Amino acid sequence: MSASGYLGLLPLAILAGSAILVLFGLAFARQRYETAFALSMAGLVAALASLFFAWTGAPQRFTALLVLDHFAYLSMALSIGATIVVEFMSFAYFRARREENGEFYFLLQLACLGCAVLASSSSFASFFLGLELLSTPLFTLIGYRREREAGLRSAFMYLILAGVSSAFLLFGMALVYLETGSLDITTAARAASGSASFTVLAGLALMTVGIGFKLAVAPFHVWTPDIYDAAPAPATAFIATASKGAMAILLVRFFAPAGIAGAGPFAWIFAAIAGISMFTGNILALREGNLKRLLAYSSIAHLGYILVAFVASGNQGSAAVSFYLVAYFVSNLAAFAAVAGLSTNEAEADSIEHYRGLAKGHPWAAAALTASLLSLAGLPLTAGFMGKFVIFEAGAGAFLWVLVVILAVNSTISIFYYLRVVSALYRPASEAGTGSMSPRPAMPALAAIALAAMAIAIIVIGAMPGSLMAFIREVARDIASNAAAAL
Amino acid sequence: MNVSFIVAGVVAILATVMVIVQRNAVHALLYLIVSLFALAVTMFLLGAPFVAALEVIVYAGAIMVLFVFVVMMTGAESSRVEPRAWIGPSILGIVLLAELSWVLLFAPAAAGRVVGQVKGVSSKELGIALLGPYLVGVEIAAFLLLAGLVGAYHLGRRHSPPSLPKEGA
Repeated sequence: MSASGYLGLLPLAILAGSAILVLFGLAFARQRYETAFALSMAGLVAALASLFFAWTGAPQRFTALLVLDHFAYLSMALSIGATIVVEFMSFAYFRARREENGEFYFLLQLACLGCAVLASSSSFASFFLGLELLSTPLFTLIGYRREREAGLRSAFMYLILAGVSSAFLLFGMALVYLETGSLDITTAARAASGSASFTVLAGLALMTVGIGFKLAVAPFHVWTPDIYDAAPAPATAFIATASKGAMAILLVRFFAPAGIAGAGPFAWIFAAIAGISMFTGNILALREGNLKRLLAYSSIAHLGYILVAFVASGNQGSAAVSFYLVAYFVSNLAAFAAVAGLSTNEAEADSIEHYRGLAKGHPWAAAALTASLLSLAGLPLTAGFMGKFVIFEAGAGAFLWVLVVILAVNSTISIFYYLRVVSALYRPASEAGTGSMSPRPAMPALAAIALAAMAIAIIVIGAMPGSLMAFIREVARDIASNAAAAL
Repeated sequence: MNVSFIVAGVVAILATVMVIVQRNAVHALLYLIVSLFALAVTMFLLGAPFVAALEVIVYAGAIMVLFVFVVMMTGAESSRVEPRAWIGPSILGIVLLAELSWVLLFAPAAAGRVVGQVKGVSSKELGIALLGPYLVGVEIAAFLLLAGLVGAYHLGRRHSPPSLPKEGA
């Protein structure tokens, strides 16, 4: 292996190495919590910076397990960026019990490493290992506040469901391996295109169940609201963004090059999942009174939108998936930064009623949260609008008229419930609502920075998407040509 | 070797079903051990004797003993073992033993070598593969275990009263 080969591995190595440093900090430092935060943040920033050095060496294969191309680095940048924002919003959130909360940063960083491995995996072995490295810390992160029974219950629920979905995934992989005799994901996907045998199709269908669970798309979405609700807000933010994003990237890498996303039985399966997810998520969100659950339902719908671009396939589809992920990341992170920032050690700021009159005490937080909700709804001048626009373009380009119409209808439905929250922000606080929560505490500085940065990103991407879009299109072209080269 | 594979597979399925339907935790664990033994026999027949040995040593040996200890030490009402509960697992275990001895005594050429088109893998080959092309995978697995360890440590820690910022330290 050449020196540039190892340079390409640098982001993963830094993530892993600094996780060990965090562990040492937890073991020996006096200010455990602050040390863990600082070390972990330094590691994440260093990993993010190392992406620039690694970028020039791409694309390359690192053994049979990893493929380090521009697409992988783009998604690593997304996961690491999301993790940095999550750490910002969690610093004050977990501070009250800081003797025992330093491990949060260690586990978060390992989960981020799992995302990075997942996004760059080129074999079933690394796919599965990355997925488990992502899920295992999540069990703990969901139930991290042990004094809350609901959190522990949800952690066990996630543990069992993730175990079942991993079993589906493994069984599917075994069936595909039985037929192709290779663990390589491109080989597997190629075996499924054209006249595929029943074994391969059954294997891929089982794998779709496992992937669908992780993405929380419609028939496999049942766990989402409970876990979003019960997990601490920063952990929820991580599950909503980095965890789902890495899986979506893997899905593109797996299915897109062989063209089985756009044609054949799997196009129908994914189109059906997309349609059902959009309707399920949006309709369930309509009457929801809890902001975290509302975001959970809306994330089901958003993953449905992403699958529309996925079914559109081709370069345009892959680019649309990536671009929408960026928009979805910044919007969701802003929303959860607001939730985490306004939560106190005693109470999670999750009911919409709690947000009534926020504009009066916290005008900037209210404005940023508004930007994030409007972006999730897809109104113009926000990142979410550009994301939907790109998906429309990709869907129309692939003549998926039914899905595009469903997407338009659902965007309209979703505006209703997002605006319900926005209107609560600007209404005077009700007497009953203020009693329990007033006076509202000031927003912690780091959470406010995260919220502001994400809100600015929403507006910048929404107003000037050109350069980001051009960049993503180039990266997406990369993935198709790499796959062709590998053939 | 097809017959012996099917026998081991059926034993594994039966034992696993019994794990699920047992009401008594320790009885379920007994069946789980048998199920893991059956899996080990399956691995052996598929030409992976090293994995089979690991399955017995690590899963059936270390992990299951730990399970049994924990269940018995927590003193749950259902943790008493009735003598009759040994009958089922014993029968399944004897079937496995008979099968394994049959394979070893009468068809030694087939054992651990070739089943269908699967080539046998020696422990040396396995080690070279794990520390060569799959080294990254081994490292990732190490981090996976570390994540599980730290997570279990956090969740199992004794409750301490909430300390407000700037107290002590």
